[in-house]
Amino acid sequence: MSRQIRILGAVILVAYAALFVKLNQVQVFQAGAYNARPDNTRSLQRDFNQPRGAIVTADGEVAARSEERRDALRYQRVYPEKELLGQVTGYFSFTLGSTGVERTYNDQLSGRTPALELRQLKGLFSDVSSEGNVVLTVRKDVQQVARDQLEERPGSVVALDPRTGAILALYSNPAIDPNLLSNNDTEQAAKAKRFLDAVPGKPLLVRSYQERYFPGSTFKVVTATGGLTSGTVTTAAPDYPVVTSYTPPLTTRAISNFGGAPCGGTLLVILARSCNSSFAQMAVEQLGPDPMIGAAESAGFNDVPPIDLPSAAESVYPTDFGSVVRRPEGQAPVYEDSPKLAQTAIGQNDVRSTPLQMALVAAGVANGGRIMTPHVMGEVQARDGEVVQRYEPTTWKESMSADVARTMRTAMVGVVQDGTAKVMAIPGVEVGAKTGTAQLGTQPPRSHGWMIAFGGPPGEPSRVAVAVLVENLDGASEATGGSVAGPVARAVLEAALAVTS
Amino acid sequence: MARAHPRRAVTAPSVAPVGPPAAESPGWTATARRRRTTELGLLVLAGLIICGAYALASLGRNASLPADIIPFLGVILALVAVAHLAIRRLAPAADPLLLPVAALLNGLGYVFIARLDERLAGLQASWTAIGIAVFIGTLLVVRDVKVLQRYRYTAGLVGVLLLLMPLLPGIGRNINGARIWVAIGPVSFQPGEFAKIALAVFFAGYLVERREVLGVATFRVGPFNTPDPRQFGPVLAAWGISLVVVIFERDLGSALLFFLLFVVMLWVATGRVSYVAAGGMLFVAGAVASWAFFDHVQRRVSVWLDPWADPQGAGYQVIQGAYALAWGGTTGVGPGLGIAGRIPFDETDFIFAIIGEELGLLGATAVLVAFLVLAGSGLRIAREAGEGFGSLLAVGLTTLLAFQAFIIMAGVTRLLPLTGVTLPFVSYGGSSLVANYMLLALLLRVSDQSARRAPDRVLVR
Repeated sequence: MSRQIRILGAVILVAYAALFVKLNQVQVFQAGAYNARPDNTRSLQRDFNQPRGAIVTADGEVAARSEERRDALRYQRVYPEKELLGQVTGYFSFTLGSTGVERTYNDQLSGRTPALELRQLKGLFSDVSSEGNVVLTVRKDVQQVARDQLEERPGSVVALDPRTGAILALYSNPAIDPNLLSNNDTEQAAKAKRFLDAVPGKPLLVRSYQERYFPGSTFKVVTATGGLTSGTVTTAAPDYPVVTSYTPPLTTRAISNFGGAPCGGTLLVILARSCNSSFAQMAVEQLGPDPMIGAAESAGFNDVPPIDLPSAAESVYPTDFGSVVRRPEGQAPVYEDSPKLAQTAIGQNDVRSTPLQMALVAAGVANGGRIMTPHVMGEVQARDGEVVQRYEPTTWKESMSADVARTMRTAMVGVVQDGTAKVMAIPGVEVGAKTGTAQLGTQPPRSHGWMIAFGGPPGEPSRVAVAVLVENLDGASEATGGSVAGPVARAVLEAALAVTS
Repeated sequence: MARAHPRRAVTAPSVAPVGPPAAESPGWTATARRRRTTELGLLVLAGLIICGAYALASLGRNASLPADIIPFLGVILALVAVAHLAIRRLAPAADPLLLPVAALLNGLGYVFIARLDERLAGLQASWTAIGIAVFIGTLLVVRDVKVLQRYRYTAGLVGVLLLLMPLLPGIGRNINGARIWVAIGPVSFQPGEFAKIALAVFFAGYLVERREVLGVATFRVGPFNTPDPRQFGPVLAAWGISLVVVIFERDLGSALLFFLLFVVMLWVATGRVSYVAAGGMLFVAGAVASWAFFDHVQRRVSVWLDPWADPQGAGYQVIQGAYALAWGGTTGVGPGLGIAGRIPFDETDFIFAIIGEELGLLGATAVLVAFLVLAGSGLRIAREAGEGFGSLLAVGLTTLLAFQAFIIMAGVTRLLPLTGVTLPFVSYGGSSLVANYMLLALLLRVSDQSARRAPDRVLVR
């Protein structure tokens, strides 16, 4: 019998060895695959069962915090500022995933960065959780001005510091209350999501950096930059003819000035008056496709801005204008698509820009041609307030040389002093701006009103750059952009200047 | 292999005298002293591990020790101490490993039950108390395992009756799709847990008696020589009844366990591999038949093959178990820090998944090794007990313990299709805990007897 007992022992040993092998397979070798399965909500559940850091604005208001509920999920994410900061914070939902800062800085908020974990390790025997608080560069006061000024109109406001890329305000209408989607009652959250997906106007889209629009005349800043950079345009020459329209080669369709007004002159004049005819002519005759593409792309077009918010949209400028048709003497070659090139020069046709991108265009001019990486995170603090991570400003694009930037700055200041953006004048502040009215159609005439601007104390680097877009307005005249978007931009600029140094 | 130990030819069909062990060897007291000291040392170690795990689990869950649960932990440790004292008095020469390992598993299970459901913690402490009481009672009543041999047929009858009880209208209860519960007044229990022990006693007694006859092939079926089929009629009947009952009660895990018990004991008693082969064929036939006839069997198999075919329904439990184990990784997320409440029956059938999540591969392997130590000790006891009833009983009891643990751990890890049985000593549940303490007492009794009679033969002193 003892032989059988020995064999039985061996059989049991083999069975348990098989179990051990299987355990290794499940717990070690395939663990990563199991953890990553979409129906495995464990990592999410961990996040909802531990405290999560707060999101705080630069002026100290709590934009997001966790409240202990002791339900099935221990913590509920709450957004005290509701719509006002919802597009920056995003939402943090058990079933719907997360957006905004909640998503980009999930590791910091849940305490899973090496720096935060190390701190927890040091406090092993004290009861310290490792979650980090994210302090935004966005200010509630500036954000509030943006919202009050936009009222209920669909549109966007972006304000940032050109010197660092720190975003001060990022607001667009329509805005939704993230509390609806972060509700731990998953059925309520799902219902809210279904509703928001179904209503027209895509309210879940953050228009300020996720939606693209015709930039209209604000794009003339890019065209002018291209002209100066290529050397074919200076403040003295060419002197564009004062005409009511310009007809590009290879077409009979003329590009008219607003209201059929005669318009022309040297660079500073045509920018101040926003002459469509002159910029169309400049693009076709002085620049040609490559310098235009170069100017657009060095300003950030055709590239996703590396902002620390998810799903940023890429602003686009066309890159194909066909082949050369003829080479007139003393001018840029004529391309098959020169008519299109003429239209892109004034921000129509296939040019599309996010409001964020146009703010960055203004910021580039204001910051000596250097576009800093836009960001909403200022710093990450541990629970005790110690800073464990700080956003280090980096350059995203060199949009123009310092010389060109100086000229463009003068040109845009001129637009405020003696041009279409007089509304932007603020006493004691050096303000440069450019209006825009992007035509959407003529029957009936409708348009987007734009204003991009920068401002600061005279003789000092500008402290704030803004872009304001008010969508889908009645009518389309050059005044539209300035009169509608201008007051908004001015109020935001003032508010931002009042609190920055 | 009766020839291996010719000096211990016990087991005649006649019943040995009952009473204090007749042929005690004078040297056994020294062995007993050493063994009890070893046991005490190991118990202290197990107690420290349990307290440590408990403290960590409480820290993880509530960030402070819940005061109302600590007394229960004290109760459990005190109960184990009582069990140790009882062994000193009632089975002083018994194996020193069984109680500490069982206590470790019991305590670890308690920690995880307390961490999952504070309400169940108090109940489990009460079950432990009853378990220890039954443990001591068993040692008191069964002073000599031969007593049990005398009552082998009674045991067989009791086993079958216990198995049949849940099917009786009025007291049988259908809970979670299995009809394995009996409720008499305020008391409800799973008689199947006790039926296992009764049947092991019956098989041991019966097979020891008929070993010679069953081991000799006198009957020809085609090309095979087999023993006279009439000889193992009663065994087959007992096995058939248990099998039919567990299929009606939809308790596949127990069905598998009974089958293994039967085949293993028959083979160990006779040494004939043909029984194993026949058993294997019977198993395959039974498995195919039950797969064909019972949709709950089909469901179990298809969930085993692909739980993701119905991730929110049939496959949910197995999938969540796998996710829990995977989440634990090598070292686990820490006691009390796992995500509890996702797995149905996490305090009973799936407690191994929770242990795997919070203690990781290391903790799960420790549990695995603990059961291996129990199995090894059980089989060693069987060998030390020579050739008789006690030895075969020890084989049966060890088989029950080792394979029940294996079946549920294999089910949770998806090595085998899941069949719901408890993890001995670890899972929440009174019937299981009490029955396993009874099983432990019987193993210790066998061990004590053989050590007293031949202390020079015990492998661990």
